[in-house]
Amino acid sequence: MKGELKEWQEKLLGVMKGRRNRQLLYYLELCTRCGLCKDACHIYRATGRVEFVPSHRAEILRRLYRRYFSPLGRLIPSLYEARELDERALEDLYEAAYTCTGCRRCMVYCPFGIDITWLLGVEKAMLVAAGKVPEELAMLTDAAIEKGNSIDLYRDLLQEQIKGLEPELRERTGMPGASIPIGRKGARVLYVALAGAHSILPAAIIFNLAGEDWTLSMFESSNYGYFLGDTEKAARVAERIVSEAKALGVEEVVITECGHAYRVMKHLDEVWSKQKFPFRVSSIFEPFARYLKEGRIKVDPDRIAERVTYHDPCQLGRNGGIFEEPRAIIRAIARDFREMNPNREKNWCCGGGGGLVAQPDLEEFRAVTGRLKAEQIAATGAKIVATPCENCRLQLDLLNQRYHLGIQVSAVTDLLVQAAVVEKGQKKAAALG
Amino acid sequence: MDAFSFWVAGVMVYVAVAVLVLGLAWRLYQWRRLAASPMRLGIFPKPRGGAKALRIVADTLVFPQAAEVNAPLWLAVFLFHLALLGVFVGHLRLLGRFPEFLEVKMSESAHLAGGTMGIVLVVTLFYFLIRRFKSPSKELSVPEDYLLLILLLGVVVMGDHLRLFAEIPFSAYRQYVASLLALRPEFGPEIAASPYKTALVVHVLLANLLFIYLPFSKLVHFIGAFLTNGIRRS
Amino acid sequence: MADEFKVDLSLDLRGLACPLPVVRVGKSIKDVPVGGIVEAIATDPGALADFPAWAKTTGHEILKTERNGADIKFYIRRVK
Repeated sequence: MKGELKEWQEKLLGVMKGRRNRQLLYYLELCTRCGLCKDACHIYRATGRVEFVPSHRAEILRRLYRRYFSPLGRLIPSLYEARELDERALEDLYEAAYTCTGCRRCMVYCPFGIDITWLLGVEKAMLVAAGKVPEELAMLTDAAIEKGNSIDLYRDLLQEQIKGLEPELRERTGMPGASIPIGRKGARVLYVALAGAHSILPAAIIFNLAGEDWTLSMFESSNYGYFLGDTEKAARVAERIVSEAKALGVEEVVITECGHAYRVMKHLDEVWSKQKFPFRVSSIFEPFARYLKEGRIKVDPDRIAERVTYHDPCQLGRNGGIFEEPRAIIRAIARDFREMNPNREKNWCCGGGGGLVAQPDLEEFRAVTGRLKAEQIAATGAKIVATPCENCRLQLDLLNQRYHLGIQVSAVTDLLVQAAVVEKGQKKAAALG
Repeated sequence: MDAFSFWVAGVMVYVAVAVLVLGLAWRLYQWRRLAASPMRLGIFPKPRGGAKALRIVADTLVFPQAAEVNAPLWLAVFLFHLALLGVFVGHLRLLGRFPEFLEVKMSESAHLAGGTMGIVLVVTLFYFLIRRFKSPSKELSVPEDYLLLILLLGVVVMGDHLRLFAEIPFSAYRQYVASLLALRPEFGPEIAASPYKTALVVHVLLANLLFIYLPFSKLVHFIGAFLTNGIRRS
Repeated sequence: MADEFKVDLSLDLRGLACPLPVVRVGKSIKDVPVGGIVEAIATDPGALADFPAWAKTTGHEILKTERNGADIKFYIRRVK
């Protein structure tokens, strides 16, 4: 059998073999194909298409595994509909692996707790080896690595960008000395934002108001290598931030409102890069909740009058462990807070995760598969949907247009800035912008 | 014992039990010899200590989340496994006498309880089988799924047949199992003379086949579920 | 302004947050012939560093970057 394999097949099967571990074997061998996961998946529920049933996405890998690795599968392939690794299988793997948002809601409901994304991770690794990956994700990953390799080339451009934000920062905090330090050695906190003013300025306002000893990272927190499923590249993208944090000697790396970025830094990268971080990783809400508790920032609880609801980003909530901190902040600044139903680890995925938002070709797909989220939002009657994830916000903006929800999609920090009371020398309300 | 009975309800039983035990041991070894990834795959929030253990047991035995997304399927699956457990415990009586109090109770309720559970098994198995002929379960299913359901149905139908219709005293079955344990398999006169003897042999034959295939099938989830549910809560 | 370039395609990416400007340009650059020029206007300051990094990995060439208030205009030549 081995002799008949072409070189590319050998290579891909090698990837599969290399990815074998205990969890993978459990997940490959225990699924009973009961199909309960289909009812937990927003994509299947919205489309009714069998190829989007979570276990079906993994079943392709399972059938390949039966064909090449399991004794009984090799003996009686028809018993498992074991299949050959051919071009068609690659197509199917691609469809399965790169149209899943990786929300892991199905894992919550599976009677065995099977992690479909762990299996899709192997599918993605095989596709990476085959060079059959979404172009945009590969492009963004490579660009991020390039930025890390040649940071000296881009440093001035970044400085220029950041300095341009400071006048507005001073105006909105009323603090003539307010600044956005970059690469400041010995700072306590390294804040890792997204590439964009919208993610830098509001956080800078809060850090300045709270008198935090902070500095801004030169790198964006998002990690397209993770969505790509290329853990080697994903680790290189993350390593930019790790090296920077080590060089600056910070105590705490604070990740901006970005679901996967938090999960990557908090839960994944130490395993990928086989190291123990000499700093703590926290989501932006952990310091913000502290500032509120310690009275380092003051908020006006009446400034946000409209009803607010909160969307748990999958990577931050059920996959990251941050549920209560953002809620505590919203409750402190919004009189009318309404939970979505279900919420927290059972929250419906918005349909924007997994790097889908970065793929223009998937816009229609996302509009259709966001239906359950749209209905869920409409049921709250909220006018403001706060969510701490860029992918979610972009997706919710799309759903807002397509389903005429009439909502404002907002980062939690933006609401906090809106409600923050600027005191004493701080002349103007921070909100006006 | 006639020759067919001797081979199927005698020799083959030993083979089936040996394959079952060794097969499960091999399967466990296959799992445990691979290193576990250091990646923690658990879902948040993560329970700790006693709450975690309790949660894993509840996830495995009751899987309450499933009821939220598909109540009919959850109910069928839950009843099926409950009945399976009941039938399993009932069959343990074949191996020997329970403590006297239980023995009496079980003996009194055997016909009703065993019959009910047997019917629950048939009904739920039929439901599982029929749903696999409908999309999307149909596309999800592979021949293994049908094979196992049909095999289980066969075992259960023959078992029900014996439970509900055969007028073989319980002591006769117990005698047969005792003879198996003594490595000298034989049917006593009640079984040998009964028109239901063939039904019994077929029941044992199908059970043997099930035991032989079980360690290599997805049915190992009866062990694996505890392990994967443990991963989910860690 | 820069009349020195014959622009084949003009993209208005104002208001889009990163990485969408880069994604849009990466997709649209295939619509111009090799040697053709795409003009992209972004407002996200992150684009300042992201476009050069993207160009370096994809092999396209940024001919010029212009700033006009919040607008950042890139002239990009399709190289391959």
